[in-house]
Amino acid sequence: MECDDCVRRLDQLIDRELSGLELEEVQHHLDGCGDCTKRYKFEEGLKRLVKVSCEQGHAPAELRERLRQILR
Amino acid sequence: MAVAAYAQIDWMPMTTVPDGQDAFAAEAITHLDALYRGALRLTRDPDQAQDLVQDAYARALRYQHSYQAGTNMKAWLFAIMRNLFWDRFQKGRPPALSIEDVGEFSLYDRMRDGVTEEGPEDTVLDRIAAGEVVEAIEKLSPLHREVVLLVDVEGFAYKDAAQILGVPIGTVMSRLHRARQHLQKSLYDYAVESGIVPGMGRSA
Ligand SMILES: [Zn+2]
Repeated sequence: MECDDCVRRLDQLIDRELSGLELEEVQHHLDGCGDCTKRYKFEEGLKRLVKVSCEQGHAPAELRERLRQILR
Repeated sequence: MAVAAYAQIDWMPMTTVPDGQDAFAAEAITHLDALYRGALRLTRDPDQAQDLVQDAYARALRYQHSYQAGTNMKAWLFAIMRNLFWDRFQKGRPPALSIEDVGEFSLYDRMRDGVTEEGPEDTVLDRIAAGEVVEAIEKLSPLHREVVLLVDVEGFAYKDAAQILGVPIGTVMSRLHRARQHLQKSLYDYAVESGIVPGMGRSA
């Protein structure tokens, strides 16, 4: 696998959407390629940053209370 | 019918909820924080977000019979909320995606090119504040915003995101890729503006 093929699959890799032979091939390439590994780590870190940034905060208490009434 | 896109695919044929209302309500409420955060990202307004979530729950309750117990309730609720958002807050169906193209943009490449010493790409993410990320997400077009929300924030698999959005998996993938490039461009502009990385004088 060439770097281009690996980079093209990075979205799927960080989203855990690769499996089987394709996953093995990407992992094999990453084992031997520092450039792609750094890129992979960066993209993965960015995905994590997006998640963590958006996960802060809770639904307002009054909304939760209204929903309890609705769902009763 | 607005609730249809997701509901009809996987939750047909209609079944009754075996444990009745209590089990349904108890599970539904566990997804409230996620739905509210999603609504905040979609509407970008706390009052509208509350309205959207409340309406989504009301509709979920009304269409309870179309939810098949044991399937992904969180995805089902997101599908309802997302369809409501497009019906009500955007006044119509999602448009065909025709958003100006940033071209291939890679934050990683810009970071790597920007500084030559100790891997800046390793540390730059630590220096971007959560609020800036949220702002960058909210700047995305709604179609891009929702796919980032579903896959990156909520961790839905492509196939679940595809069902929620009512599009093929390939569309989820291409939309997500584009969305991430727009997001990375915003974050890059912010990083340059705030001096986290030196400007290259070619912030395309
Ligand atoms: Zn490589």
